[in-house]
Amino acid sequence: MSAPLRFALPLGTIFEGSKGALAAVGLPTDDLAGDRRLVVKGGELEYILARPSDVPTYVAHGAADVGIAGRDVLMESDEDVLDLVDLRFGACRFVVAAPAGSLERSLDEYRHLGSLEVATKYPKVAQRHFDARGIQVEIIRLGGAVELAPQVGLADWIVDLVSTGRTLRENGLAVVEEIAACSARLIANRAAYARDRLRIGDLAERLAAWAGR
Amino acid sequence: MTTAIARVVAQRYREAQGTLRLSYFTSVFRQDRSMRGSEREYDQAGVELIGAGGSSADAEVLAVVCDALAAVGLRSFTIEVGHIGAVRQLFEGLSPELLDGVLAHLRASDHVEAFRVATTGLGAERIERARRGLAARGRGIEDVGVPAALELREAIHLARELYPGEPRWGVPNLSVIPPLPYYTGLVFEVVSPHVGAPIAAGGRYDGLLARYGSDRAATGFAIAVPLLHRALVADGWALASDGALISLTGADEPVRLRVAGALRASGLAVAIGPIAESAGRRVVKVEAIDERSVRYDGRSLPIEELSSILPGAGE
Repeated sequence: MSAPLRFALPLGTIFEGSKGALAAVGLPTDDLAGDRRLVVKGGELEYILARPSDVPTYVAHGAADVGIAGRDVLMESDEDVLDLVDLRFGACRFVVAAPAGSLERSLDEYRHLGSLEVATKYPKVAQRHFDARGIQVEIIRLGGAVELAPQVGLADWIVDLVSTGRTLRENGLAVVEEIAACSARLIANRAAYARDRLRIGDLAERLAAWAGR
Repeated sequence: MTTAIARVVAQRYREAQGTLRLSYFTSVFRQDRSMRGSEREYDQAGVELIGAGGSSADAEVLAVVCDALAAVGLRSFTIEVGHIGAVRQLFEGLSPELLDGVLAHLRASDHVEAFRVATTGLGAERIERARRGLAARGRGIEDVGVPAALELREAIHLARELYPGEPRWGVPNLSVIPPLPYYTGLVFEVVSPHVGAPIAAGGRYDGLLARYGSDRAATGFAIAVPLLHRALVADGWALASDGALISLTGADEPVRLRVAGALRASGLAVAIGPIAESAGRRVVKVEAIDERSVRYDGRSLPIEELSSILPGAGE
């Protein structure tokens, strides 16, 4: 018998969605809860439950063959993994936001000072975005509550992940531009996708059909 | 190293006629984030075949990578063979701008974004064919109906002729798309079941030398030595024993030094006094009696005899 296919699943907000996707394509999910490692289906499949931001790391290093990760996590992690299927759940957007009505003032400030301060939990996504735009920014990395940063004078703009936009509105912020639309993805280790093509290809095919490609 | 070699060849071998076969073993440096479990400086071994195009040159490089890996003792690996020309043909019909976008996403391993872009310029049937092409592995790629897939098969076939006897000849796999943008034709990655990243990779990069002012066909590969080492160890490989180490004592110092010199001249490895780190080799205690004889295993014997007695000693 071949070794089990190792599947890294993200605990946290997209865990339920991931479970739903797996159940929908006929993979066993009943016992998915407590254990960090779980071998199911008579040893054919092994689930590894990980922190969402660690899933790409597990997969890139080959500690897991496949995984589910949000595109937001993939963009910030910068790990080399194959992004195979858009699973369409866990939708959210990376946006640049600023205090409503302040766009003109901050652009004016940029002309005078030569750089803007941007607060974010996602420094790599933010840096890459502004580099591509040719806008010079100083990134201020925060651990959370990024939407407060402009109110208290910590930063001019923020880069954050939004789903409904309610938090932005409640804090008097408006979207300046969208960086990327994100959703959950099936990812695979590059080497595993070569040597285990039948199993991973079949899994990708079934998940793509379920997600309504 | 490929870009550096392309530059050197375009300049130093500007006037050279015919085919250049170059090899290197060198340190490479990567500007990489720390704490990713990878080295920023590591050894790379590679070859470049410059001035030869076509399937037989592609086959030669495939044969050399297989031969090289087999020669160092790697047993379990496959060579996954793709073709950038075939991937372009899969997306034929896209405008040059859209095709560039699709290829950029594929090089970044992002199939989802690649197909999102492709869908804006191709019909459902073409998209489906491209999906099948990238998902197929093995003979299946010939059913996709792109001419370059046949070129790929031809190269694998010729490689088998060049270097018979090895079963790991290369599996057609169009999802092999290297991250670097200069590849144009046949490309490949060597995959070990024990390592999460390809241990060697290469392919055809016609056009790169033209950027340095000397337009020549070129192909080659590089082996990431630390990954190869990891694969070898996982494969059960161990360094062949280099024979015993002699720990020499006895007699007075000038005599001891002369005996050590004579034993080394006969091909034995000798240290004077105790050995703290034997690097996995067997340590043998030998006592010098005088300039011509030593005591070993309770017997005294002439120096010349020791090298024939000690098992696995010498070259």
